[in-house]
Amino acid sequence: MMPALPLVRRPRLGLLIAAAVTITVPSLLAILALVGHEQPAPVVRASGTSLGGGSPPSGLGMRLLGKSAAAGTAASYQGVELIAQRSVSGPQTIVSEVWHRGGLTVTQTSDTGMVASSQPYVSYDVGDRSPEGVFGLTKTLVALLGKHYVAVYQGTGLAAGRPALIVELNRPDGSLAARFWLDKQTMVPLRRDVYDTSARLVSQEAFVQVQFGALTPAPTAAATVAAPAGSQWAAAPVPALLVTQLNQVGWQLPAALPGGLPLYTAARSQTGTGQVVDLCYSDGLSVVSLFVQRGTLAPKPAGWQQVSAGGHQVYVAGQSVIWSGGGFVYTMLADASPQVVTQVVAALPQDTAPGVIERIRRGLERLGAIVDPFR
Amino acid sequence: MNHLGEQISALIDGELAGADLDRANAHLAGCGRCRAEAAELRQLKRDLRALFDFNSDDGLTGRLLAMADPDLPEGPVPSRRLPGEQYRRELPSYDSRDKRPPRGRNPARTRRSRGRYVLWSAISLFVIGVGTAAFTMGGAGGSAAPGPKITPQLEMFSVEHAMISGDVPVPEPTEPAGGVTSP
Repeated sequence: MMPALPLVRRPRLGLLIAAAVTITVPSLLAILALVGHEQPAPVVRASGTSLGGGSPPSGLGMRLLGKSAAAGTAASYQGVELIAQRSVSGPQTIVSEVWHRGGLTVTQTSDTGMVASSQPYVSYDVGDRSPEGVFGLTKTLVALLGKHYVAVYQGTGLAAGRPALIVELNRPDGSLAARFWLDKQTMVPLRRDVYDTSARLVSQEAFVQVQFGALTPAPTAAATVAAPAGSQWAAAPVPALLVTQLNQVGWQLPAALPGGLPLYTAARSQTGTGQVVDLCYSDGLSVVSLFVQRGTLAPKPAGWQQVSAGGHQVYVAGQSVIWSGGGFVYTMLADASPQVVTQVVAALPQDTAPGVIERIRRGLERLGAIVDPFR
Repeated sequence: MNHLGEQISALIDGELAGADLDRANAHLAGCGRCRAEAAELRQLKRDLRALFDFNSDDGLTGRLLAMADPDLPEGPVPSRRLPGEQYRRELPSYDSRDKRPPRGRNPARTRRSRGRYVLWSAISLFVIGVGTAAFTMGGAGGSAAPGPKITPQLEMFSVEHAMISGDVPVPEPTEPAGGVTSP
């Protein structure tokens, strides 16, 4: 079992990191804007380097991804990640310092706006799990990739100034879904580009700086941070069974999500306002976490932008979407294209403006619930 | 033979006395025609008495008369039960229309109307009040049952999502709710 792993974001960034971010962020945003709107995904061809020679390309590509998922856990590294992605509320860029060694991962994440103001974002994991992989390459997700995509080794290239192996993921129809750059020496992922079904680049994650082997000491905050209480998650042995049981008592949990995203893991936790259920859906590339809890959404959550998605009014912040429907509050965190996010929102329960009769009927039920001492 | 004639009526009404009463009784003893006429007059008088007793106790008739059209000609109410309508016309003091107060001014009826108004007003106010409250309470949220107001703990959710997705946690849109600031 892995030790408890606090995830800590430190407040300071070095001048080198700030300079790299200052240069790289606008560049990535510009690339996203140009490529995403007008051009199809660029085709990167193998540079001619062959690995092993005898394996078919698809099998080799999947094996490389599997090795990369294992390396992301076993290797020691530190660096700065830059994540640029499209969301339903627009482009978003995240910068994250990552320090990983011996199963301990410390991250300090902020969005680009926070870099200038030096406002750190701090989060902790109080469970016995830590991020299992880098850029979405975990053992579980790689297994799902093999069911939904075809992985093809495309040759070598460069990422973060290091030689890399390039593996492409293709959909069954042959269209490009994603491209990975794997460090040739350590097999740790260095970069990942994801494309939607319209061949638009929807996210790009890359190390802008990375160091393997001898690391600087772990951030001191990691050793001093106390884990907050009340965030323990208990994984469900059979996710589908948990969904069925909860649906039988009035919950409205989907067994799968649009976009070909099946349920693959579930967990539950207790908070001050009751039970929270976390359902994760993925095809290996897109990952949607749906957190559901009983209640109604607090009015006007600070910092969230109200937008229309899937024909409904929701609140959005980056890749996070919150709304309420049918007596439940849904919080969705998605590593997926805005197209998939919109489809998912449209498929889940929503609160709609009721008619006069429905509104009076609902109000009478609420009045009855208040005055009835047996309810 | 002279019959009693008009004296029969006086005899039946008890208006004869003295020698006139003796002569009338002596004649009745020997005259079958006058006895029969006297018996018929007595029977008629009993019928009339019974008629008056019925009308004086019939509250329904009084109410129906009160509801009648005021343009109806004055006079007794025709009755299908009793023959001899003409006798009732001769006795206006027993006409229940005489007891009827002017229309709309019956105190009992006024009290009943006022009670109805109060009752309907109370019912209307109750329905409107409950409806307004239900309409107001039915507007917020989508569930019939009230529930807690939820502010999603995005920090907690983000870390959990990162554990599973193999990615870094995303920052909250605002300062971490209840979070710990870095040193």
